[in-house]
Amino acid sequence: MELRELAELALKEALALGVDEAAVAAIRSVNRQVRFANNEVTVSKTWDALELHVLLAKDKRLVITSLSNVEPEAIRASLKDLMSLLAVMKERPDYAPLPEGPFEYEPIPGLYDERLATLAEGAVDLVEAAINSALEAGGKRVAGTLALGEAEGLLLTSKGVEASEKKTSAELVVRALADGESAGMGVTCGTRLRDLEPEAAGEEAGRLAKLSLDLRTLEPGRYDVVFGRPACAVFFDIVAGMSSAFYVDSGLSCLAGKLGQQVASETITIWDDARLEAGLGSRAFDDEGLPTSRKPIIERGVLKTYLHNSITARRHNTSSTANAGWVVPRPWNVVIKPGDRSDEELLAEVKRGLFVNNITYVRFQDYAKGDFSAVIRDGVFLIEDGEIKHAVKGLRLSDNVLNILSSVRALSREARQIHHWWMEWNSPAVFTPLVLAERIGFTVPTK
Amino acid sequence: MRDLADLAVELATRLGADYAEARFHEDRSDVYVLRNGVPEVAGFTRARGIGIRVLVDGALGFASLNKPDRALLERRVREAISMAKASARTRKRPIRFSEEKAEEASWEVKAKEPAADVPVEEKMALLYDIEKALTSPEEVRTQVPFRLLELNVSETVRYFVNSDGARISCRVPRVEFFSMITVLEPEKGTEQDMVQKGESRGWEAVKAWDLPSLLAERARTLGHVLREGTSPPKGTLDIVLGSQVVGLMVHESCGHPYEADRILGREAAQAGESFVRPEMLGQRIGSEVVSVVDDPTIEGSYGYYLYDDEGVRARRRFLIKDGIINEFLHNRETAAALGVQSNAAARASGFDREPIVRMANTFMLPGDHTLEELIEDIRLGVFIKTYGEWNIDDRRFNMRFVGRECYLIENGELKGPVRRPVLEITTPGFYGSIDALGKELGFEAGTCGKGDPPQGVPVWFGGPDVRLRNVRLGGL
Repeated sequence: MELRELAELALKEALALGVDEAAVAAIRSVNRQVRFANNEVTVSKTWDALELHVLLAKDKRLVITSLSNVEPEAIRASLKDLMSLLAVMKERPDYAPLPEGPFEYEPIPGLYDERLATLAEGAVDLVEAAINSALEAGGKRVAGTLALGEAEGLLLTSKGVEASEKKTSAELVVRALADGESAGMGVTCGTRLRDLEPEAAGEEAGRLAKLSLDLRTLEPGRYDVVFGRPACAVFFDIVAGMSSAFYVDSGLSCLAGKLGQQVASETITIWDDARLEAGLGSRAFDDEGLPTSRKPIIERGVLKTYLHNSITARRHNTSSTANAGWVVPRPWNVVIKPGDRSDEELLAEVKRGLFVNNITYVRFQDYAKGDFSAVIRDGVFLIEDGEIKHAVKGLRLSDNVLNILSSVRALSREARQIHHWWMEWNSPAVFTPLVLAERIGFTVPTK
Repeated sequence: MRDLADLAVELATRLGADYAEARFHEDRSDVYVLRNGVPEVAGFTRARGIGIRVLVDGALGFASLNKPDRALLERRVREAISMAKASARTRKRPIRFSEEKAEEASWEVKAKEPAADVPVEEKMALLYDIEKALTSPEEVRTQVPFRLLELNVSETVRYFVNSDGARISCRVPRVEFFSMITVLEPEKGTEQDMVQKGESRGWEAVKAWDLPSLLAERARTLGHVLREGTSPPKGTLDIVLGSQVVGLMVHESCGHPYEADRILGREAAQAGESFVRPEMLGQRIGSEVVSVVDDPTIEGSYGYYLYDDEGVRARRRFLIKDGIINEFLHNRETAAALGVQSNAAARASGFDREPIVRMANTFMLPGDHTLEELIEDIRLGVFIKTYGEWNIDDRRFNMRFVGRECYLIENGELKGPVRRPVLEITTPGFYGSIDALGKELGFEAGTCGKGDPPQGVPVWFGGPDVRLRNVRLGGL
């Protein structure tokens, strides 16, 4: 069954059941992955999926379903299940109707690449190029993932929304090890084959791994830190995630109650921008069909907005920011405003401090306060007088989200698009330069 | 669509695969959410499809599809084979699978009270009962400004077939509860508390959890910790860790680093590798009282299974025996690479994921002490009963757990609460410092994440209360 036929069937069946409102998203996708480790491909994968997501509303009650069984009979049975659930759900005091369409959508250039969609075995060549480049730069064992995606989506709502989009995506993460503990990482991603730079990602991973060979321990304490782009991507993924009104209202955000307040140093401006060429998170419409836009989340350190869908916006007595998620509003592309220095000039500003390329395994003691710790890896170095002295092992980042935001002194001028496995708050992409923050806390094991 | 799984294996074999397997899943999950008393969108997920894996010329290919379409199936099987062939040139060491018995079996978990049959009203009523308890000042004696409550009733129905002749069907219902609450004491601050329960049973398990009482008790305790908590003591001291903390510590610092795919480097770019090397089998990692097992076969457990997702019959695995590294977790690929048999640790979270090496229910075996006996000769120490923040490095060597509900121990007695003691310790430091074990074994439920794309699988982790000698608390 074609995408449109499927979506129309589901919407028609839903409305026939007597709901007040319905939204249907039908998505066809083919995703591919080539994973590698120890300089060898470990597995190649292909996912072929046709999925349907349905939202139903009646008497201020809401239910949703996700179906990968899209036979007409299965759709009807699932909608019936949903109706029985609707009948016993309670009314929501914060209910807001779906946006009244139709809307015009301005297309975003550069989101689909036919060449990428039909690459097939050519994917293995890209992986080999990255591995060889990492080995040449000093890596001994190279691991990573090349992920290529193609998706076509259609959104129909009972409020006249009809929106469709076709996208491709490409991501290559390379991690090189020079021995058991000495590691480096490189990332390259975008929506087109030409956005990928496998050799550069491999070279960066291999070079950082080689630099990490001279590993020494360091005393715990507070250090000035230059965060590498993979680390910045993890950190700003969290900040953008915490700007979602759902998390604000669930006690899971340290940005709660801080609208209009200074939450970061004046050097920090963060946009949510759904309309970037080649952005992995770019999209012309949100899950409720509203046209997307670019907006500052934090501007010169001041928290400007939370991210909303229609319901969270109603709760906060404001308008949707076109970041729906039917349940959880979410960022599209998270864009960090760059500074005016080169990467080298930023490092040169550090008298005695650290370069931390990647942070992983972030866990919170208190989301509402922002207290957390994280594992640091893939290139951690002691910097003295702007120069790398040696690699560092054993330290753990132990600080607070708001404190780090307020401690940022400068950013470099070259922003790059980053997405990798450890971005657990699910931002599709973060565009980030290097970031220099002052007096950040690090701890060590005591036994 | 189940017949397409058989067809996929036939087709792959005919097209030149040296080995082929297919899994057909029909999974359902019903989620109910109450956030601060408001019913968030409730949702059903219905997933159905086939995952196929082929071994060709020493390389692995995987494909999944959810459309029951023979032509599409053939296309994806052909692609899995051609991609594996293209990858084979990168392999200096061809992938092989260990020889295993081709099992034919059908197994299921029979719920006493099937949760799917419990009326939705009753499920929502449970969440409202918890909400009522958490917002009742008499019950909690503190403020609980944020309450996120989730109930998940799910079932997985699976059919596995491979070219060795194995055919296995199963049906497993599960129930899960998750909550995150924030406790506030004015002028003292906040503490947050996460609770997760999960079993492979029916509604009878949910009733036995007595969630309204459990959550009210946790909130009441954290209010007390906030009001009365003092700074933890400094210097070298003894620590008693509660069963919940021990469970997560063995999951993170024994379960994960003993996964043979991590040891062999397959997860290096994501979750990481392991400080454990194959040649460390038989070496001492902890004191003689320490034994850790992983056992999928515990009835009712959240990580329960009788055959893994490669069709191998499950059994208990002894990871650490009397302080000695004894066994790793294997699937057929890692078993062949290290010259042993699979011990049935291959799990896939859904039809669209490859089976990889996973834990099931990982726990430290208990000893013979009561909590009082563990504490009685401690001059100065801390009892860390529950944890908040935790993490561990990618080699699973350097870990940190920050206490949530904790008490001072002075001259053999439990005293008042202390706030947020930091246990930052190496893995050998932890296992080597344990000198006594409690006799009560407790389990916690979790969803363990691993793989790319990530696969969350249900697990239990557990252990007794344990005593650590001569440890310094960490932090800045």
